[in-house]
Amino acid sequence: MGFTSFAWYLKEFFRREWVAKFLFVKTAPLVTPPFFRDVPTLTEKECSHCRACMMICPAPGAIEVVHGGGVWHPEIYRGHCIRCGLCVETCPETVLASGRILSVQEADGTSFDATYYIQVDQTKCMRCGNCCVSCPVNKEVDPQMGSGGYSSNDEVIMRIEAGKHHVIHEDRCVGCKTCENTCPNTAIRVARVVTAHQGEAT
Amino acid sequence: MSLLQRVKNVVRSRSIHVCFVDVGSCNGCDIEVLATLAPRYDIEQYGIYVHNNPREADILLVIGAMTPQWEDKLPALWERIPEPKAAIAIGNCPISGCVFQRRDTYVSAPVAKFIPVAAEVPGCPPRPTEILSAILSLAPTVFKDFEERRR
Repeated sequence: MGFTSFAWYLKEFFRREWVAKFLFVKTAPLVTPPFFRDVPTLTEKECSHCRACMMICPAPGAIEVVHGGGVWHPEIYRGHCIRCGLCVETCPETVLASGRILSVQEADGTSFDATYYIQVDQTKCMRCGNCCVSCPVNKEVDPQMGSGGYSSNDEVIMRIEAGKHHVIHEDRCVGCKTCENTCPNTAIRVARVVTAHQGEAT
Repeated sequence: MSLLQRVKNVVRSRSIHVCFVDVGSCNGCDIEVLATLAPRYDIEQYGIYVHNNPREADILLVIGAMTPQWEDKLPALWERIPEPKAAIAIGNCPISGCVFQRRDTYVSAPVAKFIPVAAEVPGCPPRPTEILSAILSLAPTVFKDFEERRR
């Protein structure tokens, strides 16, 4: 009979347990895997203001080493940070932590080594001195540097001298790219050559 | 609270229609939004349905760094969504422009300059769970007692 088979179908497929599950059961909330790298968090270690994190960060405006409460500490901006974890890997003081990067790094013995080349396009440079004034290394060496980027100190990285931009101590550059960000003409470029090492003591 | 409002609350809590629009991203966040549809995350078990039609949508997911071609089209699209509505910025791009916000690029992030953004999900890309929890936590604040609050 047609009706009995229909009733059989109803009985078979509309089991109370199945109906309740269909309406109310949700999959269990997924846990964050241990290898997931979230936005880096600060550990208790003391920041030495070496700006290696700013140097390696690939995202514009994501990390900045700021002075607050008497100490330097890296400040990470959500909405800019792409969670690549490079700042955690490169920090020599392990100030930052994210996921299991630090423990993996310790197990593998990896470290970064970087050299920097400052390149100034003299046809674009208009000698405003913004790069010299904004440079955090210049600021430490010569806090008296005027707004035009003039300096009588020979220890600065770069300065405006006789109406021309001069790079004096390229080796002092820490690669933080602050000069690139403040240049109005895109005349200055900081090339960062980073070498990764594995299996060596850091 | 009127009976009609109560019925609307119940219906809206289990039926959220989402429209996603890519205003110039790298497709990473699009893939994460589509991953929420897949069985592992399964956004439809919460009654959230993903469309590309603004006329059907309650929530607009904005993805991408806002290219010049979208500057007039995104507000027009926002106007077409019927009330009650809300926009969620997915990923870093609509919040800050992320890696596209550089010299000599034409992106005009943030998206909040063009349409009101109710929630932001940072990440490059955000995890599907983060997208899911953002939609679920935003929905009650937008839809619950919408008519009563507007009066």
